[in-house]
Amino acid sequence: MTGLTRQNLGTIVAKQGILIAFALFMIGFAMVNQRFIALDNISGVIRSSAILGVMAIGVTFVVIGGNLDLSVGSMMSFSTIVVLDLHDKIGPGLAIPAMFALTLLLGAFIGFLVGYLKLNSLIVTLGMLSAIHGLTLTWSGGKNMDIADKSGTWFSFFGQDRIMGIPVPILIFAFLAAVLAMVLSRTAFGRKVYAVGGNGQAATFSGIPRARIVFMTYLVSAFCVAVAGLLQASRSLGSQNTVGQGMELEVLAAVILGGASLMGGSGTVFKTVIGVLILGFIQNGLLLAGLDFYVQYMVTWAIIILAVWLDIAAKRGHLWSPIA
Amino acid sequence: MKNTMKAALACTTAMFGSAAAAQTMTIGITQNNVGVDSYQTTYERAFIAAAEANPDVNAIVLDAGGDVARQLAQIEDLIQQQVDAIIIWPTNGEAVIPAVRRAHNAGIPVVVTNSNIAEQGFDFISSFSGPDNVTQGSRAAEIMCERFTELGIEDEARVVQISGQPGYTTAIERQQGFDERLPEVCPNVTLVATQPGDWNRERSQQVMEAFLIQYDDIDGVYAGDDNMGIGALNAARAAGREGITFVGATNFAVGYDAMEAGDYWGSIYQSPVDDAEAALQTAIDILNGEEVPFLNYFDTPKITQDNMGDFTKPVF
Amino acid sequence: MAIENRKDMIKQGGIWVFILAELIFFSMAGHYWSVSNQAFMDPGNMLLLLKQSAPIGIIALGMTIIMINGNIDLSVGAIFALSAVVLLDSLSWPFMMAMGDWALPLAWGFALLTGVTLGAVNGLIVWKTGIDAFIVTLGSMLGFRGLVFMYNGEQPTSNLNWTLVDFAEAQVLGLHTATWFLFGTALVLWFVTTRTNHGRNAYAIGNNRDAAVNAGIRVGPHFMWNFILIGFLAALSAVVFYSESGSVNPNDGMLYELWAITAVVLGGTKLAGGYGSIAGTLGGVIAIQLLRKGLGHIGADTQTVNLVIGLILIAVLFLDRQLTRKGKEELKI
Repeated sequence: MTGLTRQNLGTIVAKQGILIAFALFMIGFAMVNQRFIALDNISGVIRSSAILGVMAIGVTFVVIGGNLDLSVGSMMSFSTIVVLDLHDKIGPGLAIPAMFALTLLLGAFIGFLVGYLKLNSLIVTLGMLSAIHGLTLTWSGGKNMDIADKSGTWFSFFGQDRIMGIPVPILIFAFLAAVLAMVLSRTAFGRKVYAVGGNGQAATFSGIPRARIVFMTYLVSAFCVAVAGLLQASRSLGSQNTVGQGMELEVLAAVILGGASLMGGSGTVFKTVIGVLILGFIQNGLLLAGLDFYVQYMVTWAIIILAVWLDIAAKRGHLWSPIA
Repeated sequence: MKNTMKAALACTTAMFGSAAAAQTMTIGITQNNVGVDSYQTTYERAFIAAAEANPDVNAIVLDAGGDVARQLAQIEDLIQQQVDAIIIWPTNGEAVIPAVRRAHNAGIPVVVTNSNIAEQGFDFISSFSGPDNVTQGSRAAEIMCERFTELGIEDEARVVQISGQPGYTTAIERQQGFDERLPEVCPNVTLVATQPGDWNRERSQQVMEAFLIQYDDIDGVYAGDDNMGIGALNAARAAGREGITFVGATNFAVGYDAMEAGDYWGSIYQSPVDDAEAALQTAIDILNGEEVPFLNYFDTPKITQDNMGDFTKPVF
Repeated sequence: MAIENRKDMIKQGGIWVFILAELIFFSMAGHYWSVSNQAFMDPGNMLLLLKQSAPIGIIALGMTIIMINGNIDLSVGAIFALSAVVLLDSLSWPFMMAMGDWALPLAWGFALLTGVTLGAVNGLIVWKTGIDAFIVTLGSMLGFRGLVFMYNGEQPTSNLNWTLVDFAEAQVLGLHTATWFLFGTALVLWFVTTRTNHGRNAYAIGNNRDAAVNAGIRVGPHFMWNFILIGFLAALSAVVFYSESGSVNPNDGMLYELWAITAVVLGGTKLAGGYGSIAGTLGGVIAIQLLRKGLGHIGADTQTVNLVIGLILIAVLFLDRQLTRKGKEELKI
């Protein structure tokens, strides 16, 4: 391990550490249990990771822009409840756009507070976590929301159907990831997100409208949350008010695992997707190996620390921190 | 001063069993976690409605949000406000015992509602009002067994169980009832595994997904309530596994619908409105000095696809 | 300098003004909306308020110095739970059972040791790897929670010991045991942050880490000590609370980290580090508990409580920033 720091090979390992770790995991689990690499198992894991994944992609934008979003779990509950409630009131065709509009409105509110008023994103989104939960309970009256006629609606398409054998949630997840990856890496907006997160001050001086870019990242995040809420609602056609509770930290774990720095300015959609899949496959693999769910917590802990450590060790060229 | 007098008066009325309930009584309730599912929300609504309908009752309605520390604080607050009776829906059947003792020592009668506290605390409460959860568990086992017999698989069926929140008395008792009764009625049915679903539909769906990965052959699922039962049903449906007998408890509207659609076999009919009204009535009876059974159960019958016509669809 | 002082006073006084406003509001509103005849400001009620602030409060006080450093600790809820499990479980170990009531202080010791150890693990990782404390403790929040579940599966750990309960319920000079621990912790930390080298270093590091390193402050060990401190305090909070309740669910303490951070921020401490005070945090903790109690007093339902607490947090952040900006403008003139 000690020679690793100065060698090129070591740098490559560290830089692509997340991919290598992923590959090793897959091989290891596959050797323990053949079933792990069965096509239906793999597709099952990706399908159940899709909701978390879609949210993580949105949060990647926020994090690259140098902020946090702890409200996504609470907001996902809101989207799910709202679209289910409106489904029976105004029909799915109108319910979906209405839910997207309302979710985006919440995102815009957060974006305004963090972007234009420059309030600290951790506290703002923490406050919104609680406030949106209150809003959801007010909307639903605290009751579970269920679609009355479960078999007679095309709304189940997004969460339950398949196209050419591939589950629709996977297609939506992949499509969204591809589009947003393009937005982040190929457009002027994407470059500005990196610039704002990398060095907010410099970005302002170079004429990039910091406030507007930050505002936009929260809109992207809210949009992704709305998609996740749609998938969730369509998957079970009914929901409790607490369905997204606690997901904000899982999402953040996936984003961090993908190598996005919380300081902002680094990370990619692709790597976040890898982070999400790693979490999903670990969970599945440990389950198939017959281990209890809490083992997954500890493995995730170890992997997060190791992944981030390797990443920063590669950047600074030393394994150990220089702080005395 | 005025308040002390009132409390003293209420105590006297309670002690001497005078039926004159002209004095208004203040009854405080601290609930487990309102808004987490429909049952608890409907319960709260029904409780407030029942209290408002009774001119002699002032109700202080609090919600612990599932947090033990918050619930203990609320019990302390109610003791401090010198309410006439306290109704508790425990977040943790053991952790609330010292606080209950404090209420008892302050001369305030305590009624436990919905889910009982552990036996060590029985000396400090006046009554438990709620469903008989052990019986509910055994009834669920009977429903399951009868169904297997109809299907002719009573000698080979394999069952998984998704229990409620660990440590929560209702969850423990329902599981106990089911675990004990199933081998009595269907000795050859195997209970393969039990995992908690925390009364949560999403969590239950994940647990069931895991069961489906681990076990190729599952004939029956017993869930600690219908909310979790539906989560399990969703998982089975998504995985394309058919022919599983689902039995739940606390029949939710969504469970009733699934029974009507033929996807879900049976459950236990338990109304949060009955639950809330029974708790309030128990507290009122105690304050009026009437005899109240220590375990004050209200009936919760079996409901299956066969007899569901006898029951109206649950409102929650 | 005088202006700077006045600005500080306005800012630190802010939380107490807010508490006063809450008291007035709930007293008046309680008159109309509350079903209870008891005055909100009844002394007994206020004493309970302090006691009920203790579980989050003791943790939040420790979080203050972590945040003055410019760090954060998300794992305190899990440390709280694991320490509680150790406290209650150790009482049922055979050799402890044989010791009678002498086992109680030992059980406290085991629980506190657990907190110290977990804190040290966090501190060591932050020091040696240089990973941001947010990420380190986000990871250990999961990992430590895993340990809680490993200990006793999903079952609660219980041990109702009446001697312990009586001790925790005791009132000395009117104040509850928990309140004494809250005040004691506050006093010690106030002393540490304002009167010791360690405290001065904490501010210096938070203000400008590079400058602090250049000035010869050993940042790594400093962080480590603070993480040990907050681990200890999370355990202390658990010890005080669970002595009185005797049963811990594996999910207990979840979200405590977020409430502690909220209290610290309400108390005026800056997330960026370098600025904050123990007295302010004490105010923040009391303000939150007062808000909960008051909303219960006037009969607000669950959704309103959530909505109000969330929005007030944002409003306070906004006001605080306006105040800071005003202070800066005054300074320019």
